[in-house]
Amino acid sequence: MELLGSLTILNTFTLAELEVGEHFLWKIGNYTVHGQVFIVSWIVIGVLLIASLAATRNVQTVPGGVQNFMEYALEFIRDLVKNQLGEKEYRPWVPFIGTLFLFIFVSNWGGALIPWKLIELPSGELAAPTNDINTTVALALLTSLAYFYAGFKKKGLGYFKKYIEPTPILLPIAVLEDFTKPLSLSFRLFGNILADELVVAVLVLLVPLFVPLPVMALGLFTSAIQALVFATLAGAYIHEALEGHGEEE
Amino acid sequence: MFDFDLTTPLMAVQFLILTALLNALFYKPLTKVLDERDSLIRNSKTGAKEKLAKAESLVKEYESKIAAARKESQSIVEKAQTEAREVVAQKTAEAQKEVIAKREQATLEIQQQKETALATLEQQVDSLSRQILEKILGPELVK
Repeated sequence: MELLGSLTILNTFTLAELEVGEHFLWKIGNYTVHGQVFIVSWIVIGVLLIASLAATRNVQTVPGGVQNFMEYALEFIRDLVKNQLGEKEYRPWVPFIGTLFLFIFVSNWGGALIPWKLIELPSGELAAPTNDINTTVALALLTSLAYFYAGFKKKGLGYFKKYIEPTPILLPIAVLEDFTKPLSLSFRLFGNILADELVVAVLVLLVPLFVPLPVMALGLFTSAIQALVFATLAGAYIHEALEGHGEEE
Repeated sequence: MFDFDLTTPLMAVQFLILTALLNALFYKPLTKVLDERDSLIRNSKTGAKEKLAKAESLVKEYESKIAAARKESQSIVEKAQTEAREVVAQKTAEAQKEVIAKREQATLEIQQQKETALATLEQQVDSLSRQILEKILGPELVK
């Protein structure tokens, strides 16, 4: 009986509840905007900007503290981009791909590590910006634009040749690829982050203490991996647009 | 779940702004720092290499100098040894010559003295034999 009593007591606190598809809507003219996404994304952006400012405020030849950490992050990003784009082309693309990685990574980990539930919103809940399809689609579309831009800048209209090379028969597939790339990018990130948060939420609902911890740890791992995957794929797509079909390496 | 609205374009714009801001605040300055450090390390590395080469050439030079000095000392020692040997030989020869000369002189002297001795002996023999004769025969018979 005591056990049952404690259970009901636990249930009176809503430690977790599932809210999917509810948004904290802001209205701009006739359009609506998902406010909770923007609030958290501003926090993420603030974190990134503060870290950057702290790292570059007093630049020294022998780095220490924040500068050292951010240099480590920058070298990680540079290596990632260099691996995808090659030594010759990678430099102008470091900011874009690096920001993709940093924004997604900080968003994911922020969503997983900060107890957003403590902050009450009129509707919806604060969470990682990347668990909203709007964010991931925005990032994926920017990636598409980026690789189109890279291709046109490098080859001009000759970029279109890649659709009919090596054979025009593959034209539909080549065109389809331009749609599947952003689609897969956005849905992979969105699905992973949302699924992770849902799994954690369901587990917390069922067994409030300690049991969800391994899943949360796994969530941190997948979050980091998803950020890496998004950035790596963006790099790979841009590289493909720069190199074109058939003449790689 | 799949409700698209103005969030998408605004997020895209916001992301581009973030990229530009981070480019100015993070990528550019830190990339500059990394590149500068790279070049600094490369420069000091080449400087160190040059110094090392210099040191090695100095070592070689000194080693050759040491070898030359050793050779010279050896030749000096050899020269001194041969000189000493010559001196020894010369002195020995001189001494031998002197010895031989002295011996010859001594022999000569002995010969001379022998002769004089013999001469005096002969005289004495004469007088003695005369005396003996005088004694035996008497002085008047001898003349």
